[in-house]
Amino acid sequence: MRMEWWILISVFAIATSILAFIPKNKMRLAVVAFLATQVITLLIGLVVVELGLLAYPVRLFASVNRTSFTYEYYAFPVVCAAFNVWYPHNQGKTIQLGYYVGFVSILTAIEVIIEKYTDLIEYIHWEWYITWVTIGIALFVVHQFCKWFFAKE
Amino acid sequence: MLLEHWIFLATWVLGIIGFLLFIPRKDRRVGIMAFMIFQALIWLCDMPAFKFNLLSAPVRILPKATNLALTINYIFYPVLFSIYYVHRRVKGNLWSKFLYFFVWISAVTLLDMVIERYTDLLEYGFLTWYGMWGYISFLFYVSQVCCNRFFKDKSSPQAERWATE
Repeated sequence: MRMEWWILISVFAIATSILAFIPKNKMRLAVVAFLATQVITLLIGLVVVELGLLAYPVRLFASVNRTSFTYEYYAFPVVCAAFNVWYPHNQGKTIQLGYYVGFVSILTAIEVIIEKYTDLIEYIHWEWYITWVTIGIALFVVHQFCKWFFAKE
Repeated sequence: MLLEHWIFLATWVLGIIGFLLFIPRKDRRVGIMAFMIFQALIWLCDMPAFKFNLLSAPVRILPKATNLALTINYIFYPVLFSIYYVHRRVKGNLWSKFLYFFVWISAVTLLDMVIERYTDLLEYGFLTWYGMWGYISFLFYVSQVCCNRFFKDKSSPQAERWATE
């Protein structure tokens, strides 16, 4: 089996184990963050592929869908859920900003490595900093949405 | 412009207007949750359905990126389900609940069949009209169970305000 398939399997396994660590009393927050992320990634992911900015040569459901089902449907929504569940609300602004930068940078670094060494993703008209900015925007939008969803009116 | 393109435009516009119009302000969170759950489910189920040629979408948005019917999966059905869920019979006997479900599913299936027959937006492959009826029942039922579970023993989603504090 190709290395790419092993990576996809590990991504599913890792994402699922992250879900297992989410405390029971934060499950509803995690669900809202997970689903809200999907609403964004499904659409934007398709637009980006349609415009030919990115390609995912090795992917699931390859014959019907040319975006990364694994990343957009499962892995990134799980990460976004984790981001919201463990968000440092009670800390200062600097720590909150650092939390954002840390998440975004780690995700971008992983993507850049995967792009360079595997056929899971290929940048066509794309740069690492576009990934960095778009992930940051997605996390921010979902975070604001979650705050609104659970806010008292 | 093709008839199908007008339908796309109409679906996006009417979908958003329909959501705002038919979901009362106080139920907006419930409506959005129903919308998101249905979207996640139909996206997952349509992947194998399209892969194994149960149905296809000859005319679609973003045709190079996906073979799936994006407009139908992303806005059309999720908004319909959301309206269905918010206005469902919470009280009342089993019979009236069943009738509500049955009428909705049948109306939605009929709409789907009209779309299939008179436009190129959808094309049934191995799927028959009663297969579609079953498929839509399945999607509505599972989504409803998930939504019920999410809102279980919480009078309102705001009850968990502490969650983000």
